[in-house]
Amino acid sequence: MKTKMNFLLLLFLFSAISFSKIFSEGELKKAENFKLKDYNGKEYQLNDFKNSKVIVVMFIATQCPVSNAYNSRMAQLYSDYKDKSVTFLGINSNKQESSEEVKNHAKENKLDFIILKDPNNIIADKFGASVTPEIFVLNKNFEVLYHGRIDDSRRENDVKTKDLRNALDEIISGKKVSVTDTKAFGCSIKRVS
Amino acid sequence: MKKSFWLIVFLFLLCSFVEANRQDKITVETIDKTKLAKIIKERKGKILFLNLWATWCVPCREEFPSIVKLAGEYKDSVEFVGISVDYPDEVDSKIIPFLKSINADFVSYVNGFGSDEKLINALDKKWNGALPATFIFDMHGNKQFFLNGKQSYEEFKKEITKILSNTM
Repeated sequence: MKTKMNFLLLLFLFSAISFSKIFSEGELKKAENFKLKDYNGKEYQLNDFKNSKVIVVMFIATQCPVSNAYNSRMAQLYSDYKDKSVTFLGINSNKQESSEEVKNHAKENKLDFIILKDPNNIIADKFGASVTPEIFVLNKNFEVLYHGRIDDSRRENDVKTKDLRNALDEIISGKKVSVTDTKAFGCSIKRVS
Repeated sequence: MKKSFWLIVFLFLLCSFVEANRQDKITVETIDKTKLAKIIKERKGKILFLNLWATWCVPCREEFPSIVKLAGEYKDSVEFVGISVDYPDEVDSKIIPFLKSINADFVSYVNGFGSDEKLINALDKKWNGALPATFIFDMHGNKQFFLNGKQSYEEFKKEITKILSNTM
């Protein structure tokens, strides 16, 4: 009888673990440290920003009209939050967009935050990023506090919900992020095949 | 001799007129939740090939010719519907010119859900919103395939054939 109970308990535990595994797959909960070079060849790693309260990882592009529609909003976000212990890291994982192109694009659009080139989309794969722009907000332990879009409209005049700003404001003021996941709509990241 | 010349000219003009009329027929209405649900439900013996795209999406534009070709080949058994996630005020300036340029004369709509997220969730909450995306429903309106990212003519054909062979 006891053996049977133990067997059933084990079976239950095994099922529970398998079940939770299925449902936790796909969504990144915590990022790992990574190393990438910016468009000038300078190497950075996520650990360099451990002193920031918040790290905003933004998968962006130079040729995607959706990502480009957000250039001025990204520049404004950086300007508004850079002195509030928030680090902005742009990552370009598109295979057809060179470091030189990323550099020129950043200059033209006044994107003054660090932009890293992810040559083989390894980091995009690790994060599970699919589109540009797509945002991951991390705390200093690299736990994902927010994932999704910058706001709810590609057209700045039609924006009703500023999701990224809301999340950042909540984190800075020590609150729990109320909306942790939104859908990031944009251009698919062009991965190496 | 003279008669046949004028006959050829007449036929040429007639063909041009018919072709121009066919091209002008491309219309793009807005689609909302009710209309989408109705399209999925009302199958009338055909399976539904639903493609989500945008004029700004390069891989969407690249895969479109394959869809146009398949729409011609399977017009008796598959209903092809395109939904563009451009804005409704871009129908005349962007959507219709693109559809005309590749002779896409199947039914096309533009997102009228009010937001991208509402459209995404109406189709599949698990879809991350990456374009292009294709949903294939069987003739009972049940979702059978979700293809995310650019597909080839062969990949689309394989999925269509699978559903058609299961329902024969």
